[in-house]
Amino acid sequence: MKTQRAADIAVGCFIALFGIFIIYASTFITGGAAHRLPPRTFPMTVGILLLLCGGGLALKSWSIREADLAISWPDREGFRTILVMLASLACYIALMNPLGLPVATFLYVAFSIWYLKRSKWLMAIVISLITAVVSYALFIRLLGLSFPEGFLFD
Amino acid sequence: MGFSFDYLLQGFATALTFQNLFWALVGCFIGTLVGVLPGIGPVSGIAILLPLTTVLPPTSAIIMMAAIYYGAMYGGSTTAIVVNIPGEASSVPTAMDGYEMAKQGKAGPALAISAISSFVAGTLSVIALTFFAPMLAEFAVVFGPPEYFALMFMGLSLVISLSGRALLKGVISMALGLTAALIGQDPLTGASRLTFGTVTLNAGVDFISVIVGLFAISEVMINVEQRITAISELNIKNWMPTWADIRQCTGAMIRSTAVGFFLGLLPGCTPSVTTFVAYDLEKRVSKHPERFGRGAIEGVAAPEGANNATSTAGFVPLFSFGLPTAPSMAVLLGGLMMYGLQPGPLLFAQNPQFVWAVIASMYIGNVMLLVLNLPLVGMWAKICKIPFYILGPIIVFCAMVGTYSIRFQIFDVWVMLLFGVIGYLMRKLGFPIAPMVLASVLAQMLETALGQALLMSQGSPLIFFTRPISAVFMALAFLSIGRGIWSQVRAKAPEVVTDDAEY
Repeated sequence: MKTQRAADIAVGCFIALFGIFIIYASTFITGGAAHRLPPRTFPMTVGILLLLCGGGLALKSWSIREADLAISWPDREGFRTILVMLASLACYIALMNPLGLPVATFLYVAFSIWYLKRSKWLMAIVISLITAVVSYALFIRLLGLSFPEGFLFD
Repeated sequence: MGFSFDYLLQGFATALTFQNLFWALVGCFIGTLVGVLPGIGPVSGIAILLPLTTVLPPTSAIIMMAAIYYGAMYGGSTTAIVVNIPGEASSVPTAMDGYEMAKQGKAGPALAISAISSFVAGTLSVIALTFFAPMLAEFAVVFGPPEYFALMFMGLSLVISLSGRALLKGVISMALGLTAALIGQDPLTGASRLTFGTVTLNAGVDFISVIVGLFAISEVMINVEQRITAISELNIKNWMPTWADIRQCTGAMIRSTAVGFFLGLLPGCTPSVTTFVAYDLEKRVSKHPERFGRGAIEGVAAPEGANNATSTAGFVPLFSFGLPTAPSMAVLLGGLMMYGLQPGPLLFAQNPQFVWAVIASMYIGNVMLLVLNLPLVGMWAKICKIPFYILGPIIVFCAMVGTYSIRFQIFDVWVMLLFGVIGYLMRKLGFPIAPMVLASVLAQMLETALGQALLMSQGSPLIFFTRPISAVFMALAFLSIGRGIWSQVRAKAPEVVTDDAEY
């Protein structure tokens, strides 16, 4: 999917399939038959819209061959950085309940800064420590929000 | 229910309490910061902070949220002028002349004139808002469900048709936003929809998670990919413009206010559109158009004025009709609903203290922003120097905290991550994001209005065409769709989004 045309064809097909899936899923919505607008009508309409527009996008892009544009995907290094950042965010979310907000925040911020700028490991530790302390003091203690505190504060 | 000085004075009395002044100042500060910092815009800023403001009274919370929005317009010019990095599409015209001025050693006057122009436009627009909004609200009292459905339908159609030559992509974006919002219980019958038998999905997908993912997380991904490190390099010494500079820009400020305000009343006419129109107009009326693009100070004043006028104009349809014209307004609408307030004509009748306090706070907020931006312009320029490897993880942390605090469920944060990836792909593949945001916020109101309208007409959709006001809205909606289809057919070119500014 290096060009806009190829991407639009692929995405259009995917959206059309997704529309079919939504239409299929809408058939299982029950109840409200007596209503003027039964609960399945809106999702079904949206599914049909996705199917039509997805198919339309794929067909239109397929038919236009001239004036194709390149998509500015990142290079290999850029892709790797994005994937590592997404994986670290996923770990942050997964660790939030078992470790608590302050510890998970410390680990996430420290790792991310270190990964994005390897030479600044000391700065990574200091900033992540400050962020973790602020997250605990501000959100858990001061505002009293129900964030998981983690094993350190049990 | 219309405009009255008594209401406005009462609004000032509420807005001038210590608590509301404090939160307005906090909002102005955060707004300017959000405008200055790359990687985070007003939509993300408001969406992240919205759940955290539930500890505040509704008036203080909305005063702060509104201040973040118009405050971001003041801060947005800093990176454009200092380092030629327009953080948003609306700052591109500012960068054209602002950066040229900076290169000539006039970065200080350029930053100062952008703050002054923002103040003039912001204040004039709030005056217009004060008179326009209650007038329109009075007109909107006669609106029933068919009119509301038609109005929202028209708003969505305009937002889609204004997203460049990407009509199909705009409709897909809107349909995806609707799909996300339809997950959970049907508002009219309580039936579970698209939940696949899971209890977690029964509570639905919160629009804050969707918006924070689409804007904050995807923006961080884009910045990580571009490996933005340090931002600012210029050293600025002389901060103040001369009186001659101000006199030279007076006409530009007033003209750009008019352009920004009146165009800003239309759904989809975001600052990224109006700033270009104002810049172009200024170039046309100038006796020396050749100076534009080479450091003309009016070239900074005009887009900055239009920027602020448009952002304030968005409050007119929001307060009068409950219609958001841009993603930021959609988040504010969601915020109002979170507090149990229904924007629209009844807001002025049922909650006059609230609505007039918010309007009065905008007058005060503009003064605060001028004070924050003129003497402290050097500080804001220095903030640009924060490297992205520090800023990025902290933005993600704020996004995480904001999203989790909606319902204190980890599920919402996973949704944020998912929509972060979707937002990144949408930007790369040229899908407009604004229709998705507006649809995800408007879906429930749209469906409820449709259901009630069909109930009124005993199932006949003709009700939308037989009532005069809804017929006008429907006609405008179909005209804008027709215009979009026509321009697509004529262009015979790939689907390309003009821009997708974060407003």
